[in-house]
Amino acid sequence: MRDAYDAIVIGAGHNGLTLGAYLARSGLEVLVLERRHEEGGGLCTEELTLPGFLHNVHANYHTFVDLAPPVHDLDVRGHGVEYVRPEVQMASIYDDGTALTVHTDLDKTCESIARFSEEDAETFRRLYGEAHGYVDLLLATLMYQPPMSVKELTRALATFGVEDRSEFLSVKLRRETINQFLDQHFTHPKVKAHLAFHGAVCAYTNDVPGLAIGFPLLVGKIDNWHLCIGGSHRLAHALWRDLAQHGGVMVSDADVRAILVEGGRAVGVRLADGTEVAARKLVASTVSVEQTFLEFLEPAAIPEELQTRVKNDVKHKDWSLFSVHLALSALPEYSAAEFDPDVNRAWVVNLGYGSLEELSAHFAGVRAGQLPEPKPNAAVNSLYDPTDAPAGYATGLLRQFAPFSIAGGGEGQWESMGHWYGRRCIEAWRRYAPNLTDDVILDWVPYTPLEIAQKLPNMVRGDWMMGEVSLANMLDQRPLPELGQYRTPVEALYMAGSTQHPHGFITFAPAYNALQVIADDLGIEAWWRRV
Amino acid sequence: MADIYTEGWYLEVRDAMNAKVGTMKELPPGDIQVKVEIFGDGVSPYIPDGTERHFLVKIEDGRCAWYREVDGDDPSIKLDYRFRGPARVFDEIAAGLEDPVNAALHGTVKVRGDMRFLMRQAPQVKVLLEAYATGVRTSWPLGRPPYASRTEEAVHA
Repeated sequence: MRDAYDAIVIGAGHNGLTLGAYLARSGLEVLVLERRHEEGGGLCTEELTLPGFLHNVHANYHTFVDLAPPVHDLDVRGHGVEYVRPEVQMASIYDDGTALTVHTDLDKTCESIARFSEEDAETFRRLYGEAHGYVDLLLATLMYQPPMSVKELTRALATFGVEDRSEFLSVKLRRETINQFLDQHFTHPKVKAHLAFHGAVCAYTNDVPGLAIGFPLLVGKIDNWHLCIGGSHRLAHALWRDLAQHGGVMVSDADVRAILVEGGRAVGVRLADGTEVAARKLVASTVSVEQTFLEFLEPAAIPEELQTRVKNDVKHKDWSLFSVHLALSALPEYSAAEFDPDVNRAWVVNLGYGSLEELSAHFAGVRAGQLPEPKPNAAVNSLYDPTDAPAGYATGLLRQFAPFSIAGGGEGQWESMGHWYGRRCIEAWRRYAPNLTDDVILDWVPYTPLEIAQKLPNMVRGDWMMGEVSLANMLDQRPLPELGQYRTPVEALYMAGSTQHPHGFITFAPAYNALQVIADDLGIEAWWRRV
Repeated sequence: MADIYTEGWYLEVRDAMNAKVGTMKELPPGDIQVKVEIFGDGVSPYIPDGTERHFLVKIEDGRCAWYREVDGDDPSIKLDYRFRGPARVFDEIAAGLEDPVNAALHGTVKVRGDMRFLMRQAPQVKVLLEAYATGVRTSWPLGRPPYASRTEEAVHA
């Protein structure tokens, strides 16, 4: 590590590495600093249970593969990343033993939906057809560019008469919940429940007003879920490799404690060991708003009003995820396979949510700090990744929507309740897959919302999207209006992580969009803008 | 009236666009270059299957300066937008049978470039597209769309 670099990026998650790699490819001397012992942030794969069993601790689903420009621009496949797109992407198993499966083959998905409602199957086909047609246009408009305001977007949609040309897109969606959208277009409770579940796994909670606006887009890529072979961390390694091959440097165990400011301009950082590194052109933070503005910057460096707003107005998700990672000696065999054999090949399975009301009730309870009766979703990566467990064995991942702070005792209760709740989640899985007896489960570990926040402090209060996903916290309003265009009140200090538009998930978009702003400010030739 | 995809037709398209935008109060300053790529889809008689025709449109201060056919990509030309789609769809747009916004919205015609500008200049963009679609009287020497052997969505990547 030298004394000075052109650009210093704080945080080596996928956004930090992405921004660093683009800047390095643009000829800047880049330093990416990571507090943990390795790069990746949420792209974290560890042998949490037994040797040879690879568990994606955080990010497991890669849904923007081949839609996100950095996948191509940074040649992640050339750097060794291999993705698989499971044929049976997702399933819902209901309490009566029926099941719905989503396939990469649209006809098969519609056949599955038609077993519940032929009308819904036809609606889904039309919705998917329409949404899939405009998914890249919408992504280019809404995700992979610095954000416009809702007002600007609404005006443009009205001018182009989109409402008259689309069965499903409407400016009214900005006021509606996903529940309302589904109630308007679909009839069968189980079909609606599955589609809402799919949205919830993407952090688009079904009962939040305004999120209906993003729902068609989610459906347009409902079959684009990819698994990173060998673990999600492979992607982080590929991004680091690209950074390094273009002269960038990533330093781990580098705990940034301060962003140095002179004359209103960010000029470097100070590490926990006192080392100071100068930034000639910019500092970009990909960690939380709270860390950046309340911990790293001296109070005098930013307006007092911004400090207050960061303390009071930054919105975080009101639910987190409780996970159980398992080492298995057999794949799950679901009782519902009698109804639909494809459930045994489904990568991600919703275990039990059979109506919008059930899902909404769970989220209402979770917001009140209650632990829901588990209806976890189960992902078995080994179905499609033969490298993630020893031959003949499998990994399992259970995830349950859960509160960060448990009513009556706060988040600290997770330390004593993690194993108890994990056992209950496993029992819930076993009700649908009776072969998962104790002797089949070789080992398991819970991973609580508290542990999310402890392991990755940028995920404040276990907020794995690094900010509430709501219309009020999207586009140019995220995370605060004055920070919504990736710039900050401190000259040459940028925000480039998932706190920014669009949000978390492995989208690469916050970094990609911050890059556009940085390029404009610094006069960097945008070689990546291939029209 | 000019034959589709001829010099005379390009001039008429340009004039139609400028006549339309001439009625608008505010036009965005600056130059914009748009590449239109039309690929043969086995349906249109004007662009044989397996071949492509490329066009470049120059917009200066909101007005169409020229519209010309080009031979592939010229790396020295900085493009702002690229529209790409099958010949049947572009023919139908030129014949006023297909709505260009609809074609873009549904992905039949792929649009690349800075979408913010297109969205912020939506009124002008809409007028330009309408001029292209309905502002020119086009003759069709090899037959007029809709074509009898219309095939479904031969969209190339």
